[in-house]
Amino acid sequence: MYQLENGNDVKFEMLKFYISNIQLLQNNVTVFTAPNSFYLIDVSDTTSQNIFLNLNQETAFNQVRFNLGIDSTTNVGGAMGGDLDPTKGMYWTWQSGYINFKMEGTCNICPAPKHNFEFHLGGYQHPFNSLQKIELHTTTKNNCRIVLDIHKFFTAIDLAKQAPIMSACAEAVTLSQYLANCFSIP
Amino acid sequence: MKKYIIILLCFFTFAFAIQENLFTVPENFPQPVYDFSKNPLTEHKILLGRTLFYDPILSKNNTISCENCHSPFAAFTHIDHALSHGIHDSIGIRNSPALMNLAWQKSFMWDGAVPNLDMQALAPISHPAEMGSTINEVVEKLNASEKYRNLFYNAYEDSAATGEKTLKCIAQFMLTLVSADAKYDKVMRKELSFTAQEANGYLLFQKNCASCHTEPLFFNGNFENNGLPMDSVLKDLGRMKVTSNNSDSLKFKVPSLRNIEYSYPYMHDGRFKKLSEVLNHYTNGIHLSKTLAPQLQQAIILTSNEKVDIINFLLTLSDKDFVFNPKYRYPK
Repeated sequence: MYQLENGNDVKFEMLKFYISNIQLLQNNVTVFTAPNSFYLIDVSDTTSQNIFLNLNQETAFNQVRFNLGIDSTTNVGGAMGGDLDPTKGMYWTWQSGYINFKMEGTCNICPAPKHNFEFHLGGYQHPFNSLQKIELHTTTKNNCRIVLDIHKFFTAIDLAKQAPIMSACAEAVTLSQYLANCFSIP
Repeated sequence: MKKYIIILLCFFTFAFAIQENLFTVPENFPQPVYDFSKNPLTEHKILLGRTLFYDPILSKNNTISCENCHSPFAAFTHIDHALSHGIHDSIGIRNSPALMNLAWQKSFMWDGAVPNLDMQALAPISHPAEMGSTINEVVEKLNASEKYRNLFYNAYEDSAATGEKTLKCIAQFMLTLVSADAKYDKVMRKELSFTAQEANGYLLFQKNCASCHTEPLFFNGNFENNGLPMDSVLKDLGRMKVTSNNSDSLKFKVPSLRNIEYSYPYMHDGRFKKLSEVLNHYTNGIHLSKTLAPQLQQAIILTSNEKVDIINFLLTLSDKDFVFNPKYRYPK
């Protein structure tokens, strides 16, 4: 549960997204790349929110790079397991492709039936490639805490007008960009 | 040490021979598109995929299997059905495609919505008018079945089914559906020769049809508008639905013509029952529109005798060994 500035309550039923291709950099030089790193972060599952990287104690870094979503090569690379297994509910079946970010819930001002909002954001083909590259600066040494401030997203859109999105389209790209701006290292 | 090396060499030769035996690139075919290194074929995995292909367990109420719309004797399509019917007799909007030589296809479905064979099965499994289920439901049912736990164990040394393994095994079976032994192939290999009528049909085919239905696979992997007026009920825009690009309006994937004798009716919505109707469309029925294939902008002119010759040539693409191959049938 979360309250918008206009006083309306937003209730979340689902919030899941993919983080992939994690890289650590020191002054723009890559010092660590996590191999085959695809992580499904599920807000309802706290264990999924911790990502452990196997790097040397001495490795110094001051930048973190990652993708919000799944790259196009992986999208066309065939059946995958683990967090990428299609049973995770993050894959479109009739028009293939991973869903990068899935958020569902209700808010009284939503125009859809039952006041639902549904944002299934994905798409890997031009011009609707919704993958977002994110780079954050950090001063921490070991545990790096990355925050997704969903408030910024709901400030950027107007829930009273926003229609549900469940396919690759221009709007999915725009909303993905809004989401990319919600990540920060406090 | 020497002995060790020899044993290893033998093992590799053996492994190579098995893979060769499970999938061979026909001598007149190009290299396949499918990346076998990500899903190496084994006999147990193919058997598991074949068992799944024929099992209605893939559908919500255990009534519809892949074979319902893809029968082996019809070159793995739905004979006599313009539009296939799935769960609860629901009717879809497209003619089910024949399944063969899938390792050479870059994309799947009439509109190319699926970019990799592994993921193709997800579409019919979850479509409400086809199998009406989800991959999660399927995996759950497979894990509850002793038969499948054994089959998964044989295939992966782990009895647990997952979405990835299920899809990869179905893909493995589909990859083995290679048709390359029609009379046409035997003529190309110089084992047989065309009759005079077939030979003339072949020349006419090369002149008028082969730019899209390119030898030896008889498709070119592209999407084209072949001049069919849009069905006013189905209102199917084809490829445009996938790309949202107006220039793809009314374009559909060029299908292979191999085994066309067995795979009627024809076109993405199955509107033509006979090959003669198809040829009459190309000579007299082209509907002009912005996205019409450039090859069809100029009228194709064929006499009725020439059409008969082309049909005679098309019948040389029938591969009896393919449609009657027991290794593609329901596993006993």
